[in-house]
Amino acid sequence: MKKFWLAALAVAGLSTGLAQTVVKLQGFGGNDTAIISSLLKEVVNPAVEKDGIRAEYQGIEGDYKAALLNALAAGTAGDLFYVDIFWSEPVFASGKVEPLNAYFTQKELGVFVPSLLNAFSFKGKIYGLPKDFNTLAVQFNKDLFDEAGVKYPNQADTWDTFKAKLKEVQTKLKDVAGLCVVADFARFGAFAYATGWKPFNAQGKTVLDANFKRAFQWYTSLVKDGAGRYAQDLGAGWTGQCIGEEKAAVSIEGAWIGGFLKDKAPNMKFGTTYLPLDPVTKQRGNFVYTVSWSMNAASKNKQAAAKVLKALTSPEAQNWILTRGLALPSRGALASSPVFQRADKTGELNRVVFNGSTKQGGNVLPFKFGAYDGGDWMRPINEALQAVITGKKSVDQAIADAQAEINKLVK
Amino acid sequence: MEPRRKFDERYLARQRWARAGWVYGTMLALGVFFIGPFYVAFLGSLKDNPLEWPFRATFAQVLPKNWAAAWKLGQQGAGNPLLGGFAPGAVIPFEVTYFVPAGTEPATPTVTVPERRAGAGLGAIFDEVQASQYAQVSPVEEVSRRPARVGEQDGQIVTYRFTISYPRGDPTASEELPTTPRLPLDVEAPRGQVFLTATLDPNRLERRGRVASWDSAAPGFLGYTFKNYVRVFREARDPNTGSSFFLRWTANSFFVSLMAVLVNLLFASLAGYALARMYLPGKGLLFALIILLMAVPQQAMFISNYLVLRDLSLLGSLWGMIVWIGIDMAKVFLMKQFFEAVPREIEEAALIDGANPITTFFRIILPMATPALGALTIMTFQGIWNEFFKAAVVLSGQQGSYTLPLGLSFFRSAYGVAGDWGMMLASAFLSMIPIIILFVVFQRYFVEGVSTSALKG
Repeated sequence: MKKFWLAALAVAGLSTGLAQTVVKLQGFGGNDTAIISSLLKEVVNPAVEKDGIRAEYQGIEGDYKAALLNALAAGTAGDLFYVDIFWSEPVFASGKVEPLNAYFTQKELGVFVPSLLNAFSFKGKIYGLPKDFNTLAVQFNKDLFDEAGVKYPNQADTWDTFKAKLKEVQTKLKDVAGLCVVADFARFGAFAYATGWKPFNAQGKTVLDANFKRAFQWYTSLVKDGAGRYAQDLGAGWTGQCIGEEKAAVSIEGAWIGGFLKDKAPNMKFGTTYLPLDPVTKQRGNFVYTVSWSMNAASKNKQAAAKVLKALTSPEAQNWILTRGLALPSRGALASSPVFQRADKTGELNRVVFNGSTKQGGNVLPFKFGAYDGGDWMRPINEALQAVITGKKSVDQAIADAQAEINKLVK
Repeated sequence: MEPRRKFDERYLARQRWARAGWVYGTMLALGVFFIGPFYVAFLGSLKDNPLEWPFRATFAQVLPKNWAAAWKLGQQGAGNPLLGGFAPGAVIPFEVTYFVPAGTEPATPTVTVPERRAGAGLGAIFDEVQASQYAQVSPVEEVSRRPARVGEQDGQIVTYRFTISYPRGDPTASEELPTTPRLPLDVEAPRGQVFLTATLDPNRLERRGRVASWDSAAPGFLGYTFKNYVRVFREARDPNTGSSFFLRWTANSFFVSLMAVLVNLLFASLAGYALARMYLPGKGLLFALIILLMAVPQQAMFISNYLVLRDLSLLGSLWGMIVWIGIDMAKVFLMKQFFEAVPREIEEAALIDGANPITTFFRIILPMATPALGALTIMTFQGIWNEFFKAAVVLSGQQGSYTLPLGLSFFRSAYGVAGDWGMMLASAFLSMIPIIILFVVFQRYFVEGVSTSALKG
């Protein structure tokens, strides 16, 4: 026991004996801990050292959202923490997050890609600076298209020409699907947005209207018309796995697929292009998946935290992350980074995914669903997609059922 | 009534057999049920693609032919038959065999030692020394050609040979050339020319069979068969210090488990003895409280415990876990029940011989309690070894002080997202080994348990 008290005293002594202001950062566990710790050590802490500030990162393993909400309620949350766009609005609405407008000038905020910054604004205030982001793009296996003698998908493709190409590949090669289709709004939604449909109308209601139906019909017809196969039937959970195992000719994923393919199929010759256009509106749609650095409203070191936040989102920090191929930067100016200009497959992938957040992406909406839990909100639509793809329901029936379910949630 | 009894006996015998059949049948079924997933997961941890569907029980990593080849290549690559590598002076002869259908002229494959970095997981953070900087590939030459029939097709089987070498540097140079941990290899042939076999089976065939790709052409036996297990140690390293996370976590787990077992044994036996034998006013009430505490779920108390640990500045420290786990009411209860079964006469005899209560406890009672302490040890050790919840609460974010269950969760977030399940399976199996050893060593106490009476002696 003596040993324990000695240790306890030593630990207590250490934590009180430092004169520096320690800014505590919290975020995802796993690789993020390793990456952010290295970033702090090499870029951020050297930059804020002169102000007597030191930043420390704490990664949370397991359910980050639950841990953060608990910590915010218990008063043990860090000074800065990650907020995933997917569940950001209820957190911002709770008043536990500090608006950043007082700490940053308009000019300082203006350097971020507007669609990303907007994703973290709530009631006219900015509640987080985008840490990095991702959008969706089409990746295609060049070998498979060459073998089938079909032209590669390109940015002029509409849903119809895209589907025709997939169908041709699937027909000619037989053992390969065009796309492995997942029953997930996180993929399908991008097509629904292309029609101009939005998850919530002006009255805040979710209406699965004619535009939604058009996208729904097209997406589910991929399997029926022989342009794709249902992912589960191919033993895959996501479209990346299908393309990685050469079970499908294209995938619809973000830049995260780059690292996966590097391990899974390092020799694959793949290209990347934008999502196809809606033939009616001549528009694309896309999601922005992003995570912010937000400030704790109860923090005792807000000024110091703001300085750390500036260093975390500085061009140096974002370049550090970008050149290591770990994530895409949220600063607009970094679009001209040499990393994006590289002619190789990864350069193209990053460039297209980065541009997916700009005008070229079309109707780009953040991956969030108002004040609702995204999982709850998407569930009826995912079930409808699955029911139609597996042939259990007709399109009209499935949409009607989904609408009834959503009406129960969205009052 | 004679015949009737005879029938009864036969009937009873049948009943006995039927009962035995049921018992053994059920146990066998349960055995298969529990071992099945274990077996599948273990095979998965060896595979290049653990998610492979349809599932195969026979694949490159379990073929003795590849074990021998990997051993030999590891020897040739870096003089290390177990872990392989690519060291200066290495000369590695390699052969690949293709089936070329009739009507097409065999094309000599292109051999490259590519630059290869990990795309996801912790490996992506480190810069690995690339073998491609140092490797030299000899011209590919055809060794043999013979007609053959594969499946329904006529054609010929062609074998090619090449050598990969690592020239020794200038002996006068100030810096020695590095030994690279692996030697990636790609062999590409035109589509239609079917890859058949090679010195070592490739890790994957890519681009519709055009490219045979090896993670390392000089892997060594462990580096090939237990690739994911080796990666657990090689890849999962602290980016700031470079030391192995997995070893650190294992050491942490041992430290916490052993300390907590010791503290538990001490307190549970002392408290149990006091409750069973000592004269204490309000003992009954105290015991009722202990029973009550056992009924309250941990999750209900964790916030208060967390706040106490925070105020003691023990969050993020292994000691915080030990303090939290150190006393368990269920164990006090267990020891109390055991000590109550010890005959009073033994203590009275000690008293007559002039022993004070402390001596009686440590010299007489405790040695008699070995079976109970053994059972307690194994139960506590296993419980703490697998403890995730408390570890997640106390140690969150301090990767250096994770215990193994938390480390496995780290692997899940770092590698699971990239679908790299092999590494997670491997780390899960590695984390099981100590507990299996413990079971084998302490098995006796499991059987004896607390039922053994002290009266035997």
